[in-house]
Amino acid sequence: MTVEAFFLARPNGQRLGVFHPTVGIVPRGAVLHLAAFAEELNKSRRMVALQAAALAQAGYATLLLDLDGCGDASGDLDGASWQGWVDDALAGARWLAERVPAPLWLWGHRAGALVASAAAARLDSPPNLLLWHPALSGQLVLQQFLRLRAAARLLDGQAKGVLDMLKEALGRGETVEVAGYPLPPALADGLAKATLSPPTSPERVARLAWLELSSRPDAELSPAAGQALARWRAAGWQAEARVVNGPAFWQTSEIEHAPALLLATLDAMARLEATQHAAPSVPAHTP
Amino acid sequence: MTVMQQVLEMLDEVLSLGGRAAAFNRDTPLLGALPELDSMAVVALIGAMEERFGFAVDDDDIDGQTFATVGALVDFCAARMAG
Repeated sequence: MTVEAFFLARPNGQRLGVFHPTVGIVPRGAVLHLAAFAEELNKSRRMVALQAAALAQAGYATLLLDLDGCGDASGDLDGASWQGWVDDALAGARWLAERVPAPLWLWGHRAGALVASAAAARLDSPPNLLLWHPALSGQLVLQQFLRLRAAARLLDGQAKGVLDMLKEALGRGETVEVAGYPLPPALADGLAKATLSPPTSPERVARLAWLELSSRPDAELSPAAGQALARWRAAGWQAEARVVNGPAFWQTSEIEHAPALLLATLDAMARLEATQHAAPSVPAHTP
Repeated sequence: MTVMQQVLEMLDEVLSLGGRAAAFNRDTPLLGALPELDSMAVVALIGAMEERFGFAVDDDDIDGQTFATVGALVDFCAARMAG
């Protein structure tokens, strides 16, 4: 297996890219990974690397890109912004388009799914999406992240005061520190406004593979995820959703492995590619 | 699936109870009785509730009572789903 590490030049520094090319086969797809945020990213590195290798072997050339201030990108998180992240994702997509003549998939995990849907809206032609346990609302991601700092005060009912203090500091334009991460207002503001929504009026209807993990073998998609998925289908996206048995490896205290997810991901993508798109049965947009 | 079943499934997943939650009833004590339920696990549980049920928790509404028993937690979730 060949893996190519390089730095992608950006106006305000450089981002580490790790490229898993296909070997000896014509690529059937080009995949750009957009990672989960903060600790969730660190916990997920192993599963992401395993999936990238499996994707390359199956014919999907895959680029893992560290967004500004994350992972091994140059620069600190306190210089990052939401807009900068979306621009980084678009730069990664351009890099892939020059290298790999195959349909683009944006592969977002958790908060990375919000970056993927924001980037998808800015591409001329909507890409296919592969979402791993997507965050549905950036506001919730932000609230849950800030809550880490208030954990010790939650049970005596004092957490609200800590959260209000953090939000007021962000509102004054100050960077706040949470769990060792400096969170700047330019990132917090954009994240808070992000939602997992289908891009409006796609020229070409695209494919969406949605995978979640549950430790129960017979689990269904959560009610909130089911409603979100219905909105994508109503907008004309051809979707394949799976709940796979395995641990929520991005939040477990140990580094966990979810082998069923690796296979289910490839299977969902292949199944979407094999089926002809059927016209949506409901109008994509109601006034 | 009832709210009670959803809450038990969530407790089992987030706290890695390995199926023990299936034997819980409304009166089963949580906070102080389950060693897995520390302050970071409470943060994870609130996050899981928000994502599963699609409501946002106001942190002002949370205190030790919310996690005292299974019944208290189920009522907390049911109230927010109704609102």
